[in-house]
Amino acid sequence: MAAPAVLVATFVVGGGMATSLAQSLGLFPLVGPPSLTVAAYAAQASELPAGIGLSLAIAAASTLVACLVGFTAALVIVQGRWCGKLVAALGTLTIPVPHIIGAASMSLLLADSGLLARLFNTGGGWPELVGGPWWIAVVAEYGWKESAFVALVVTGTLATRAVSYDETAALLGAGRLRRLRHVLIPLSMPALAVCATIVFVYSLGSYEVAWLLGRAYPEPLPVMALQLFNSATLTARPEAAAVAMVTTTLSFGAVAAAFAYLRRSTLWR
Amino acid sequence: MALTLPPDVGVPLSWPSQPGNGLRRSRGLGRALRVLLALALALWFILPLVPLALWAFADRWSFPAVLPQAWGWDGVRTALAQGAVPAFGHSLLLGLLVSAFATPLGVLAARALAYHRVPFAPAVSVMLFAPLALPAFVAALGLNVVLLRLHVPAFAGVVLLLMVYALPYTSYTMRVAYGAHDLAIEEEARLLGASPWQLMWRVQLPLLAPALARAAFLAFLVGWSDYVITLLVGGGTIVTVPLLVAAAAAGTGNDATVALLSAAAVLPPLVLLLGLGRFGRRPNGGRP
Repeated sequence: MAAPAVLVATFVVGGGMATSLAQSLGLFPLVGPPSLTVAAYAAQASELPAGIGLSLAIAAASTLVACLVGFTAALVIVQGRWCGKLVAALGTLTIPVPHIIGAASMSLLLADSGLLARLFNTGGGWPELVGGPWWIAVVAEYGWKESAFVALVVTGTLATRAVSYDETAALLGAGRLRRLRHVLIPLSMPALAVCATIVFVYSLGSYEVAWLLGRAYPEPLPVMALQLFNSATLTARPEAAAVAMVTTTLSFGAVAAAFAYLRRSTLWR
Repeated sequence: MALTLPPDVGVPLSWPSQPGNGLRRSRGLGRALRVLLALALALWFILPLVPLALWAFADRWSFPAVLPQAWGWDGVRTALAQGAVPAFGHSLLLGLLVSAFATPLGVLAARALAYHRVPFAPAVSVMLFAPLALPAFVAALGLNVVLLRLHVPAFAGVVLLLMVYALPYTSYTMRVAYGAHDLAIEEEARLLGASPWQLMWRVQLPLLAPALARAAFLAFLVGWSDYVITLLVGGGTIVTVPLLVAAAAAGTGNDATVALLSAAAVLPPLVLLLGLGRFGRRPNGGRP
């Protein structure tokens, strides 16, 4: 009964990777005979390091923000009462927001004519958050959207067990910080690690947010790949596929590293 | 992947809270800090949505003004002129189709993994989760050529890819649901003479309804929110709401249109989510 799902997944995931690889190696040219070559990779060799570094940095920063804010939100939510309910309700509100909509709203919020620039009337001295050198708006969008995701998942894990452990620790005289360190953080670590992997891989391979809120140069890998894909040059298609394969390798590498970590630590039960 | 969604963690899409007792309650300065922290977090979650609400019905809002200077329906008129209505139709159709295909496939896979001996079960699980690890643009970019050569209609191609990107959510949600599902109830019904059809309609469906609704909602959201797959595989022929928003946001001076379209794109899934919260809490719909 699992066959239909596995078949379509294999077609899309396996097929998508195989055809990307074939295109990047020149086996699927738009014109001319196919020939095995690494020319596409060589052509982008000078651009790739910057793209890889930028993509990894954006993904790492977004993951850090999402996990820190999401974990804090989960702690507040698990405490319950009205402030927990408020954070929970507003966090839920962001769950069905598509990323492209989130990016559009971030632009209306953070741009130099955005809402924040109007509120703190800086008279032209507003920092370049959208399209600036530090990719602040991009990281803010991922951090904002994904922190709600992290909060939801971590709350789910904490809510079932944390309260009783936390109360026991409190009864035995553990202070707030010690309970955080010895009860709440260890209990949420597995969920947090899984969330971090998902957020990292997503922000590494996602196109639209970096495209809308980023700057023209240097480009993160997905933006680079799609610019090449849409360009008029015939040789650009294999180059786009080469960039896509580099992104895929990084993405699967991150997942493999996360699995190795989870397996090695005793977190995975 | 169109977006990251919360996988089912037992009680997903509703925020579980336990009353607890006074042991963990903070007092004095600690309490004040906690309230401040909660308010800061509330602001963090709501702030990016504020400009949408303000801009959506702002006809004139020139730069230094903190609030719009003239309210009106210009945004609505522009949005309609840019084809908001057909785009909504496309988005809705895409979401519903992805949901209609990915949910049953996820149910079948989850049931097989939960109750039957599946050959290469770990590999099957990995395959169902693999779409989370493969960037959506890679699949779209690679398969574009294949789908074109096989003469698959653009819309069907988009639905196929999005369906696969929804599978991790539907299969995982249903897997968790089957984990908590008590097969003894099904056996009891059969013992009392229920036909397979009755078993499905009167026993399985009511017991699994909340999980099914969650899975279907998550799959709908994948179709509803997608940008890059619709763009690449659709080849510009399928204009959905995210594509309209992206086109408007990439230009300048469209702030009101962007805000209106965005607000309108958030509302339908939000209404569904709220409905789902009520549905999921139905007393006879939960676990036995």
